[in-house]
Amino acid sequence: MEKTIVARTGNEAMAEAMRQINPDVCAAYPITPATEIMQIFSSFVNDGLVNTNLITVESEHSAMSACVGSAAAGARTMTATSSQGLIYMHEILFIAASLRLPIVMADVNRAISGPINIHCDHSDTMAERDSGWIQIFSENSQEAYDNMIQAIRIAERKDVSLPAMVTTDGFIISHGMERLETYPDAEVKKFIGEYNPPYNVLNLEKPITVGSIVLTDYYLEHKKAQHEAMKNAKKAILDIGKEFGKVFGKEYGFFEEYKTSDADYVLVCLGSTAGTTKAAIEELRQEGIKCGLIKIRMFRPFPAEELAAALKKCKGIVVLDRSEAMNTQAGPVATEIKAALYDAGIAKPMHNYIYGLGGREIYIEDIKNVFRNISKDTKGSNEVKYLGLKEA
Amino acid sequence: MSTKPNIKGWKDLNVGGVVESGTSEHFHTGDWRSKVPVWQEKNCIQCMNCWAFCPDHAIKVKDGKRAEYDYAYCKGCGVCAEECPKTTIAINAVKKDDPNAKIDSFDGAKNPTFAEKAAILMVSLKDAKEKFGVK
Ligand code: SF4
Ligand code: SF4
Repeated sequence: MEKTIVARTGNEAMAEAMRQINPDVCAAYPITPATEIMQIFSSFVNDGLVNTNLITVESEHSAMSACVGSAAAGARTMTATSSQGLIYMHEILFIAASLRLPIVMADVNRAISGPINIHCDHSDTMAERDSGWIQIFSENSQEAYDNMIQAIRIAERKDVSLPAMVTTDGFIISHGMERLETYPDAEVKKFIGEYNPPYNVLNLEKPITVGSIVLTDYYLEHKKAQHEAMKNAKKAILDIGKEFGKVFGKEYGFFEEYKTSDADYVLVCLGSTAGTTKAAIEELRQEGIKCGLIKIRMFRPFPAEELAAALKKCKGIVVLDRSEAMNTQAGPVATEIKAALYDAGIAKPMHNYIYGLGGREIYIEDIKNVFRNISKDTKGSNEVKYLGLKEA
Repeated sequence: MSTKPNIKGWKDLNVGGVVESGTSEHFHTGDWRSKVPVWQEKNCIQCMNCWAFCPDHAIKVKDGKRAEYDYAYCKGCGVCAEECPKTTIAINAVKKDDPNAKIDSFDGAKNPTFAEKAAILMVSLKDAKEKFGVK
């Protein structure tokens, strides 16, 4: 297959994926740093490069509501947002998931107010982690592009039928220009295939009611059905990641392991910090510290068993959390990892750091230090530490 | 109230919990009615307002004409009486279980004349049920 090598920002890469996906409907409202995605996409609409019906709405709450309506009418539906926009969609996100509508969203990670801030952290996505959406994180523009294409297939697979959000780190990826390999339009079109919606409220041949009230009698069963669909999503993510590898040359799974096979210390993180960590690992290995990285790609559903198995051999674990859970016990990622290890009967030293909130820079030296710290500690610590904090 | 009989467990739910049309057939809203409308066929001008406005399917149509109530689906909301141009003549409502029930014209402002009032039968729910064969 002939790939085209271009220089693209994360937002440009996501908009390009959307052009190739050519959804029936997009409903969106602009918000920094995701604005560009829809801005670029709206030029595609204007220039006739897509057949999409673009709905410019008055808020993100309306954007997600329009997406739900459009998806329920059998249209392949996409949107893009960030931060306040995502949490303004909050109530409708749960409805989209419970209605099992395979809407795909580009979510550019940005801190949640307050204090008001426009820079990267993962608090927006983490605030929606229980909404029933599939959540896929990307390290760079290439992954953002690849993940968008795969998310369509994962979300739409019949035994899944759930909405999915693909995230990038605000500004760091969204506005950082990188090398991107794009695939021919025809190949992407073939990979995603024809859309066969779960149902269509506008089908007069088979009239249905969507969103009816479910009280004490069947609400519980409804959630169980969602739970099972999420389990099926795990399988779908693996299958489709493999198939993607066969077609486009890069296979995807639940997480990426980097130099873990002989690693004494493994750091777990999401998104762009994985790139910084890889550089730190290279340098530390020169110093003789055998360290590795696990970069979680799929946060929802959470690959608990697989992560526990991957962390089994190492002597110590560092978990970096780019958002706060405010439980004073662990950040959102560390909470999940701890639960996964508990279930697998694994107890080993772990350090959990909150870092990079509100776009605070993370340096290779910071990462080297956290590895050095865990390599000197045999007991671990329950204290949630803040990395790069100004103490005085 | 009855639910759709073939839903037993979570595996039987349609994706997204969508339901096929016409399930209101399974719900007898008449179960919780506290007032009952009574139709006086002789005063009816067949405008079909009541049929169009009834929020359930309590008003039956036969040969293109308004027919008797199906009380199984009548919740006693009074919309039909409100929308009937011959309110209190063609449709009136009676409070449940009150043998001396006064006419309740729902909007209370139609001011029926004494003759009209007399024309409206002071039927009790029991009588109405008997008259219309409702169990
Ligand atoms: S009272 Fe209400 S439910 Fe009963 S027939 Fe009249 S409009 Fe229909
Ligand atoms: S609204 Fe009144 S007059 Fe019209 S069809 Fe119904 S009962 Fe008869």
